[in-house]
Amino acid sequence: MNNSTCFVLCFFIMMTLSISGHAQNLLDALEKEYPDTPQYEMATFKTTRIALGHSIENRKKGVLEIRTTNRFWNLPNNQDSQSFFVDKVSSRIALEYGVSDRMTIGVGGTTFDGVFDGFLKYKLIRQRSDAKGSPLSVTLFQGGSYRSKRFGNINAFDEFYDKVALTSQVLIAHKFNPKFSVQLAPTFIHRGSTVFEEDPENQFALGIAARHKIGGHASIISEYYHVMNPLESIDTYNAFALGVNWELSDVMLQFYMTNARSTVEDAFITQTTNNFNFKDGNFHFGFNATFILHLKNKKLK
Amino acid sequence: MNKILALVFFLITITSFDSKSDQVIARQGQVSFFSYTSVENIEAKNNQVLSILDLSKNEIAISMLMRAFVFEKSLMHEHFNESYIESDIYPKATFEGAIVNFDPLAEKQVRIIKGILSIHGIDKEIEIKTTIENTNESYILEGDFTVEVKDFDIKIPPLLASNIAKTISIKFRFEYQPYEQ
Repeated sequence: MNNSTCFVLCFFIMMTLSISGHAQNLLDALEKEYPDTPQYEMATFKTTRIALGHSIENRKKGVLEIRTTNRFWNLPNNQDSQSFFVDKVSSRIALEYGVSDRMTIGVGGTTFDGVFDGFLKYKLIRQRSDAKGSPLSVTLFQGGSYRSKRFGNINAFDEFYDKVALTSQVLIAHKFNPKFSVQLAPTFIHRGSTVFEEDPENQFALGIAARHKIGGHASIISEYYHVMNPLESIDTYNAFALGVNWELSDVMLQFYMTNARSTVEDAFITQTTNNFNFKDGNFHFGFNATFILHLKNKKLK
Repeated sequence: MNKILALVFFLITITSFDSKSDQVIARQGQVSFFSYTSVENIEAKNNQVLSILDLSKNEIAISMLMRAFVFEKSLMHEHFNESYIESDIYPKATFEGAIVNFDPLAEKQVRIIKGILSIHGIDKEIEIKTTIENTNESYILEGDFTVEVKDFDIKIPPLLASNIAKTISIKFRFEYQPYEQ
C-alpha cells in the first residue's frame, strides 16, 4: 500500500467520523445530560385499598382521605322483606392521613359489627422504574381492632384486651407494566381471646391481589386471602373480591362483588362465614367511596 | 497530491471539532404550564428542563421529564402522570427546531422558533415567539405559547371536561452556559 492510498483511506475514515459526529443531533446530546436521579414507580395500585384489604399505596404528605367502605347484601329466604334495594348494609367510615410521603395513619368505625379500628402503614421499599434498584415495593402494615358489640352474648368478654385483634401484614408488590400490577400479602393475625378453646389465637394468611388498568381512569381488581389455619368452631371461607376501580379527580370509587361482610382486616380474612356465590346471604356488593382533601399544598418555586 | 489531501483532511478535522464549541446548554431550564377553568386552576412547574442551543446552526433542542413537573396537589401529579400524559410510556416531552433569523451577537432580540414539539408520543409542528437576551456570553430565552390538549391525543373523560382547559398556556425560561462535553 503506497502513501496516497493510505491517505485516501484515512481521509474517508475521518470524513465518515466527522459526518457521524455532526449527525448526532442535539436531542441525543441532551439524552446524555440527564442526571442519574432514581425514578420510582408511581401508582402500582390506584388507591390505598385493593378492594377489601390494603394495597402498598400510601397517601402523600398532608393528604386527608375520607373513606366509606360499604357492603350490601340480602338475607336468605327473606321474600317478604320490606327493605328497599337490599336487606342489610354495613359501612365503615374512616379518616386516613398521610403523615409523610411514606407513612399513613387511619382510624375508622364499622356500623354493622361495631368494630373500631386503627392502623399505621409505612412504605419501606419503593420499586424503581429504571433497571436499577429494587424490583419490588414493600409496605408494612399494622392494624388493631376493638369489638364494641356483643353478638347474642356469645363472646361476652369484659377485659379490653380480650376484644382486641391485631393484624400485621407485609405487602409486597410488583408493577409489571403500566397496566398490570400484582401484590402478595403475608398476614399474621393475633386475637386477644377466642370464643372457643379449639380456635387458634394466632392465624396466618396469604393475600394475593392484582389490578389491570382498562383506561386512564379505570382498572379491574381482584383479591383473594388464603387462611393457613382457619377457625375450628365455625366454617369459614377465604375472602374473595372482584371489581372495578374508578377515579374522578378527588373522588375514587370502587365497586366489587365479594363474600366478605366485615371491613376490618382481622375479621374479613379469618371470619368470612359464607362462600363466594350469587345466592342471597352469600353475595355481597361492595362499594368504597373515597374523597381526598389536600391539607397542605406544595409551593411552586 | 498528498499535500492537498493532507490539507483537506486537516481542514475537515478542524471544522468538525470547531463546531462543537458553538453550543451552549441550559441544565435547569424552567417550564411551567397553566390550565385555567372556572372550576379549577391547575399549575405545574418543572425546574430541570434541559436545552441545547447551537449558535452556529441556529438550532435548539429541549428535553424534559414529565414526572419532574411539580403540582400544588400530590394527587394532581399522580393523575397527570398516570391518567393523562402516561409518563410510564412517554416519559419525556421534547422540542427540536430552528430559530429564524437568529443573530448570536445581538443584545436583545425577539425571534420565532419553528420546530416540532413532541408530547405524549405525538409530534406537532409549532412556532414559538421568544425573546433572546445575550449578556456576558450567556443567552437567556424566555417566552410563552399555548397548546391544544386535543392535538396530543390526551383523553379527558367527559365528566372532567370542565376541570381541564382545552388550551394550556406554557411559559419557559432557559439560561445557557457554554457546553463542555
